[in-house]
Amino acid sequence: MKRLTFLLVLFTFALSAASAQKYVTKNGHIRFFSSTPVEDIEAHNRQVNSAFDQQTGDFVFRVLMKSFQFEKALMQEHFNENYVESDKFPNATFTGKVTNASDIDFSKNGVYNVTVEGDLTIKGVTKKVSEKGTFEVKDGKITGKSTFNVVVEDFGIKIPGAVSKNIAKSIQIDVDVTMDKVAK
Amino acid sequence: MKKKWLYLLGILAVIGVIAAVLVYFFVYNKPHKDYSKAKPEVEIEAVALFESFRNDAQAASAEYNGKVVAISGEITGVEQTDGLTILVMALDEGMFGSEGIRCTMIPELASAAVATPPGSKVTVKGLLTGYNETDVILEHCSLVE
Repeated sequence: MKRLTFLLVLFTFALSAASAQKYVTKNGHIRFFSSTPVEDIEAHNRQVNSAFDQQTGDFVFRVLMKSFQFEKALMQEHFNENYVESDKFPNATFTGKVTNASDIDFSKNGVYNVTVEGDLTIKGVTKKVSEKGTFEVKDGKITGKSTFNVVVEDFGIKIPGAVSKNIAKSIQIDVDVTMDKVAK
Repeated sequence: MKKKWLYLLGILAVIGVIAAVLVYFFVYNKPHKDYSKAKPEVEIEAVALFESFRNDAQAASAEYNGKVVAISGEITGVEQTDGLTILVMALDEGMFGSEGIRCTMIPELASAAVATPPGSKVTVKGLLTGYNETDVILEHCSLVE
Protein backbone atom coordinates (compact mmCIF):
# COMPACT_ATOMS: atom_id res chain seq x y z
CA MET A 1 0.00 0.00 0.00
CA LYS A 2 2.77 2.33 1.02
CA ARG A 3 4.51 1.57 -2.18
CA LEU A 4 1.43 2.37 -4.18
CA THR A 5 1.10 5.74 -2.45
CA PHE A 6 4.73 6.47 -3.21
CA LEU A 7 4.22 5.60 -6.84
CA LEU A 8 1.12 7.74 -6.98
CA VAL A 9 3.00 10.71 -5.51
CA LEU A 10 5.82 10.17 -7.96
CA PHE A 11 3.35 9.99 -10.81
CA THR A 12 1.68 13.23 -9.75
CA PHE A 13 5.06 14.94 -9.59
CA ALA A 14 5.94 13.67 -13.01
CA LEU A 15 2.65 15.01 -14.35
CA SER A 16 3.09 18.48 -12.85
CA ALA A 17 6.64 18.65 -14.14
CA ALA A 18 5.39 17.77 -17.60
CA SER A 19 2.82 20.54 -17.46
CA ALA A 20 5.52 23.17 -16.83
CA GLN A 21 5.42 23.96 -20.51
CA LYS A 22 7.01 26.65 -22.55
CA TYR A 23 5.71 27.86 -25.87
CA VAL A 24 7.95 29.66 -28.31
CA THR A 25 8.13 30.99 -31.83
CA LYS A 26 10.71 32.76 -33.92
CA ASN A 27 8.28 33.53 -36.73
CA GLY A 28 5.90 35.80 -34.91
CA HIS A 29 4.23 38.58 -36.89
CA ILE A 30 3.95 42.19 -35.78
CA ARG A 31 2.40 44.82 -38.00
CA PHE A 32 2.20 48.48 -37.34
CA PHE A 33 -0.17 50.80 -38.98
CA SER A 34 -0.26 54.57 -39.09
CA SER A 35 -3.31 56.20 -40.55
CA THR A 36 -3.77 59.87 -41.38
CA PRO A 37 -5.95 61.62 -43.93
CA VAL A 38 -2.79 62.16 -46.02
CA GLU A 39 -1.60 58.57 -46.17
CA ASP A 40 -1.60 55.15 -44.56
CA ILE A 41 1.71 53.56 -43.69
CA GLU A 42 2.20 49.99 -42.60
CA ALA A 43 5.13 47.73 -41.91
CA HIS A 44 5.50 44.05 -41.15
CA ASN A 45 8.01 42.07 -39.15
CA ARG A 46 7.71 38.31 -39.52
CA GLN A 47 10.74 37.21 -37.56
CA VAL A 48 9.55 38.08 -34.07
CA ASN A 49 10.77 36.05 -31.11
CA SER A 50 8.25 35.33 -28.42
CA ALA A 51 8.06 32.92 -25.52
CA PHE A 52 5.37 32.09 -23.02
CA ASP A 53 5.68 30.07 -19.83
CA GLN A 54 2.44 28.35 -18.98
CA GLN A 55 3.24 27.92 -15.30
CA THR A 56 4.42 31.42 -14.42
CA GLY A 57 2.54 33.31 -17.14
CA ASP A 58 5.81 34.96 -18.20
CA PHE A 59 5.52 36.36 -21.71
CA VAL A 60 8.40 37.93 -23.59
CA PHE A 61 8.95 39.43 -27.05
CA ARG A 62 12.05 40.44 -28.90
CA VAL A 63 11.68 42.41 -32.11
CA LEU A 64 14.45 43.50 -34.43
CA MET A 65 13.61 46.97 -35.68
CA LYS A 66 15.52 46.55 -38.94
CA SER A 67 13.39 43.52 -39.82
CA PHE A 68 10.31 45.72 -40.34
CA GLN A 69 9.47 45.78 -44.04
CA PHE A 70 7.76 48.81 -45.54
CA GLU A 71 6.10 49.17 -48.87
CA LYS A 72 8.35 52.08 -49.79
CA ALA A 73 12.11 51.90 -49.41
CA LEU A 74 12.28 55.55 -48.42
CA MET A 75 9.91 55.04 -45.50
CA GLN A 76 11.98 52.12 -44.28
CA GLU A 77 15.09 54.29 -44.38
CA HIS A 78 13.44 57.12 -42.49
CA PHE A 79 12.04 54.69 -39.95
CA ASN A 80 15.42 53.12 -39.20
CA GLU A 81 17.59 56.19 -39.44
CA ASN A 82 15.48 59.04 -38.11
CA TYR A 83 12.64 57.69 -36.02
CA VAL A 84 13.73 54.59 -34.12
CA GLU A 85 17.50 54.90 -34.67
CA SER A 86 17.81 51.17 -35.08
CA ASP A 87 21.60 51.26 -35.24
CA LYS A 88 21.63 52.53 -31.67
CA PHE A 89 18.59 50.56 -30.50
CA PRO A 90 18.41 47.38 -32.59
CA ASN A 91 15.74 45.59 -30.54
CA ALA A 92 12.35 46.45 -29.15
CA THR A 93 11.40 44.21 -26.24
CA PHE A 94 8.47 43.32 -24.10
CA THR A 95 8.86 41.52 -20.79
CA GLY A 96 5.75 40.81 -18.81
CA LYS A 97 3.09 38.38 -17.79
CA VAL A 98 -0.26 37.05 -18.82
CA THR A 99 -1.99 38.01 -15.60
CA ASN A 100 -4.81 35.49 -15.93
CA ALA A 101 -2.78 32.53 -17.24
CA SER A 102 -4.19 30.32 -14.48
CA ASP A 103 -7.70 30.73 -15.97
CA ILE A 104 -6.64 29.09 -19.22
CA ASP A 105 -7.11 25.38 -19.77
CA PHE A 106 -4.14 24.60 -21.99
CA SER A 107 -5.28 21.04 -22.51
CA LYS A 108 -8.49 22.13 -24.22
CA ASN A 109 -8.84 23.83 -27.58
CA GLY A 110 -10.51 27.20 -27.32
CA VAL A 111 -10.14 30.96 -27.41
CA TYR A 112 -9.45 32.72 -24.14
CA ASN A 113 -9.33 36.42 -23.32
CA VAL A 114 -6.04 37.44 -21.77
CA THR A 115 -4.60 40.50 -20.13
CA VAL A 116 -0.91 41.10 -20.67
CA GLU A 117 1.02 43.45 -18.42
CA GLY A 118 4.65 44.40 -18.41
CA ASP A 119 7.44 46.59 -19.69
CA LEU A 120 7.56 47.64 -23.33
CA THR A 121 10.92 49.01 -24.47
CA ILE A 122 11.25 50.87 -27.76
CA LYS A 123 14.23 53.04 -28.63
CA GLY A 124 15.69 52.54 -25.16
CA VAL A 125 12.62 53.93 -23.41
CA THR A 126 10.68 51.58 -21.13
CA LYS A 127 6.98 52.04 -20.38
CA LYS A 128 4.57 49.98 -18.33
CA VAL A 129 1.76 48.72 -20.50
CA SER A 130 -1.36 46.66 -19.96
CA GLU A 131 -3.16 45.34 -23.03
CA LYS A 132 -5.97 42.96 -23.79
CA GLY A 133 -5.77 40.16 -26.30
CA THR A 134 -6.68 36.55 -26.96
CA PHE A 135 -4.95 33.21 -26.67
CA GLU A 136 -6.21 30.51 -28.95
CA VAL A 137 -5.20 27.06 -27.76
CA LYS A 138 -5.25 24.61 -30.63
CA ASP A 139 -3.70 21.16 -30.69
CA GLY A 140 -0.86 22.06 -28.34
CA LYS A 141 -0.13 25.40 -29.99
CA ILE A 142 -1.01 28.84 -28.75
CA THR A 143 -1.83 31.73 -31.04
CA GLY A 144 -1.63 35.02 -29.20
CA LYS A 145 -3.30 38.05 -30.78
CA SER A 146 -3.61 41.62 -29.69
CA THR A 147 -4.20 45.04 -31.17
CA PHE A 148 -3.23 48.13 -29.26
CA ASN A 149 -1.94 51.64 -29.78
CA VAL A 150 1.39 53.21 -28.99
CA VAL A 151 1.89 56.95 -28.76
CA VAL A 152 5.21 57.51 -30.51
CA GLU A 153 6.11 60.52 -28.38
CA ASP A 154 6.05 58.34 -25.27
CA PHE A 155 9.09 56.54 -26.59
CA GLY A 156 11.01 59.64 -27.54
CA ILE A 157 10.25 59.30 -31.25
CA LYS A 158 10.02 62.75 -32.81
CA ILE A 159 8.19 63.28 -36.05
CA PRO A 160 9.56 66.30 -37.94
CA GLY A 161 7.09 69.06 -38.78
CA ALA A 162 7.36 68.48 -42.53
CA VAL A 163 5.82 65.01 -42.32
CA SER A 164 3.75 65.46 -39.16
CA LYS A 165 0.59 65.28 -41.27
CA ASN A 166 1.69 62.00 -42.83
CA ILE A 167 2.47 60.04 -39.68
CA ALA A 168 -0.05 59.37 -36.94
CA LYS A 169 0.76 60.37 -33.37
CA SER A 170 -0.65 57.08 -32.19
CA ILE A 171 0.37 53.97 -34.10
CA GLN A 172 -1.68 50.80 -34.16
CA ILE A 173 0.25 47.63 -33.36
CA ASP A 174 -1.11 44.20 -34.34
CA VAL A 175 0.52 41.20 -32.75
CA ASP A 176 -0.02 37.68 -34.09
CA VAL A 177 2.24 34.94 -32.75
CA THR A 178 1.72 31.20 -33.06
CA MET A 179 3.89 29.47 -30.50
CA ASP A 180 4.85 25.82 -30.44
CA LYS A 181 5.27 23.79 -27.30
CA VAL A 182 8.82 23.00 -26.31
CA ALA A 183 9.85 20.38 -23.80
CA LYS A 184 11.64 21.93 -20.87
CA MET B 1 7.29 91.73 -73.88
CA LYS B 2 4.28 90.00 -72.41
CA LYS B 3 4.79 87.12 -74.78
CA LYS B 4 8.33 86.58 -73.53
CA TRP B 5 7.12 86.35 -69.94
CA LEU B 6 4.53 83.78 -70.84
CA TYR B 7 7.16 81.82 -72.70
CA LEU B 8 9.46 81.82 -69.67
CA LEU B 9 6.65 80.82 -67.35
CA GLY B 10 5.77 77.96 -69.65
CA ILE B 11 9.33 76.65 -69.60
CA LEU B 12 9.46 76.92 -65.80
CA ALA B 13 6.19 75.02 -65.50
CA VAL B 14 7.46 72.21 -67.72
CA ILE B 15 10.70 71.97 -65.70
CA GLY B 16 8.66 71.93 -62.49
CA VAL B 17 6.47 69.07 -63.70
CA ILE B 18 9.49 67.05 -64.85
CA ALA B 19 11.21 67.62 -61.49
CA ALA B 20 8.09 66.55 -59.60
CA VAL B 21 7.82 63.36 -61.65
CA LEU B 22 11.51 62.57 -61.13
CA VAL B 23 11.27 63.14 -57.38
CA TYR B 24 8.16 60.99 -57.21
CA PHE B 25 9.77 58.05 -58.97
CA PHE B 26 13.33 58.24 -57.70
CA VAL B 27 12.97 59.59 -54.17
CA TYR B 28 9.49 59.07 -52.79
CA ASN B 29 8.80 55.87 -54.69
CA LYS B 30 12.32 54.60 -55.14
CA PRO B 31 12.28 50.83 -55.31
CA HIS B 32 13.66 48.52 -52.64
CA LYS B 33 17.20 47.48 -53.31
CA ASP B 34 17.54 44.19 -55.15
CA TYR B 35 19.58 42.34 -52.55
CA SER B 36 20.05 39.30 -54.77
CA LYS B 37 22.22 41.48 -57.02
CA ALA B 38 23.99 43.36 -54.24
CA LYS B 39 27.67 42.70 -53.75
CA PRO B 40 28.32 41.41 -50.22
CA GLU B 41 30.22 43.84 -48.02
CA VAL B 42 31.29 41.05 -45.69
CA GLU B 43 32.00 37.37 -46.32
CA ILE B 44 32.15 35.21 -43.24
CA GLU B 45 31.70 31.68 -41.85
CA ALA B 46 28.43 31.08 -39.99
CA VAL B 47 30.15 29.98 -36.79
CA ALA B 48 32.46 32.98 -36.68
CA LEU B 49 29.59 35.41 -37.26
CA PHE B 50 27.39 33.81 -34.62
CA GLU B 51 30.18 33.72 -32.05
CA SER B 52 31.03 37.36 -32.58
CA PHE B 53 27.42 38.36 -31.85
CA ARG B 54 27.29 36.08 -28.86
CA ASN B 55 30.54 37.32 -27.36
CA ASP B 56 29.91 41.02 -27.84
CA ALA B 57 26.52 41.81 -29.36
CA GLN B 58 27.11 45.54 -29.31
CA ALA B 59 30.40 45.45 -31.14
CA ALA B 60 29.10 42.90 -33.66
CA SER B 61 25.92 44.95 -34.24
CA ALA B 62 28.02 48.01 -34.96
CA GLU B 63 30.12 46.02 -37.37
CA TYR B 64 27.51 43.99 -39.27
CA ASN B 65 23.98 45.43 -38.84
CA GLY B 66 22.55 46.90 -42.01
CA LYS B 67 25.21 45.34 -44.22
CA VAL B 68 24.87 42.84 -47.03
CA VAL B 69 26.62 39.78 -45.66
CA ALA B 70 27.46 36.47 -47.34
CA ILE B 71 27.51 33.61 -44.85
CA SER B 72 28.95 30.16 -45.47
CA GLY B 73 27.69 27.32 -43.36
CA GLU B 74 25.63 24.19 -43.08
CA ILE B 75 21.84 24.34 -43.59
CA THR B 76 20.09 22.61 -40.72
CA GLY B 77 16.58 23.28 -41.93
CA VAL B 78 14.25 25.33 -44.08
CA GLU B 79 11.04 26.56 -42.44
CA GLN B 80 7.97 27.60 -44.37
CA THR B 81 5.32 29.57 -42.54
CA ASP B 82 2.97 32.36 -43.46
CA GLY B 83 4.19 32.38 -47.05
CA LEU B 84 7.75 32.92 -45.85
CA THR B 85 10.74 30.70 -46.36
CA ILE B 86 13.40 30.87 -43.68
CA LEU B 87 16.72 29.16 -44.11
CA VAL B 88 18.14 28.10 -40.75
CA MET B 89 21.71 27.41 -39.75
CA ALA B 90 21.36 26.16 -36.19
CA LEU B 91 24.57 26.27 -34.23
CA ASP B 92 23.47 25.76 -30.67
CA GLU B 93 20.58 24.66 -28.49
CA GLY B 94 19.12 27.28 -26.15
CA MET B 95 16.13 27.84 -23.90
CA PHE B 96 13.89 28.58 -26.86
CA GLY B 97 15.08 25.80 -29.12
CA SER B 98 17.82 26.06 -31.68
CA GLU B 99 19.94 29.18 -31.95
CA GLY B 100 21.97 30.30 -34.90
CA ILE B 101 21.39 32.17 -38.11
CA ARG B 102 17.97 32.68 -39.68
CA CYS B 103 17.59 34.05 -43.19
CA THR B 104 14.29 35.11 -44.74
CA MET B 105 14.58 34.23 -48.42
CA ILE B 106 13.45 36.51 -51.24
CA PRO B 107 10.13 34.83 -52.22
CA GLU B 108 11.02 34.45 -55.92
CA LEU B 109 14.30 32.79 -55.00
CA ALA B 110 13.06 30.66 -52.13
CA SER B 111 12.61 27.44 -54.10
CA ALA B 112 16.38 26.97 -54.37
CA ALA B 113 16.62 26.96 -50.58
CA VAL B 114 13.70 24.56 -50.24
CA ALA B 115 15.37 22.18 -52.70
CA THR B 116 18.63 22.15 -50.75
CA PRO B 117 18.75 19.22 -48.34
CA PRO B 118 19.71 19.82 -44.69
CA GLY B 119 23.37 19.17 -44.09
CA SER B 120 24.45 20.88 -47.32
CA LYS B 121 27.18 23.49 -47.20
CA VAL B 122 25.93 26.71 -48.76
CA THR B 123 26.63 30.40 -48.97
CA VAL B 124 23.65 32.61 -48.36
CA LYS B 125 23.60 36.35 -48.89
CA GLY B 126 21.28 38.97 -47.45
CA LEU B 127 20.76 42.08 -45.37
CA LEU B 128 21.81 41.48 -41.78
CA THR B 129 19.23 43.17 -39.56
CA GLY B 130 20.61 42.21 -36.16
CA TYR B 131 20.79 39.80 -33.24
CA ASN B 132 17.78 39.19 -31.01
CA GLU B 133 19.73 37.42 -28.29
CA THR B 134 19.02 34.00 -29.74
CA ASP B 135 19.59 34.34 -33.47
CA VAL B 136 21.31 36.46 -36.05
CA ILE B 137 18.60 37.58 -38.49
CA LEU B 138 18.95 38.28 -42.19
CA GLU B 139 16.30 39.52 -44.61
CA HIS B 140 16.09 39.53 -48.43
CA CYS B 141 18.31 36.46 -48.74
CA SER B 142 19.36 34.40 -51.71
CA LEU B 143 21.70 31.48 -52.21
CA VAL B 144 25.03 32.32 -53.78
CA GLU B 145 26.04 29.94 -56.54
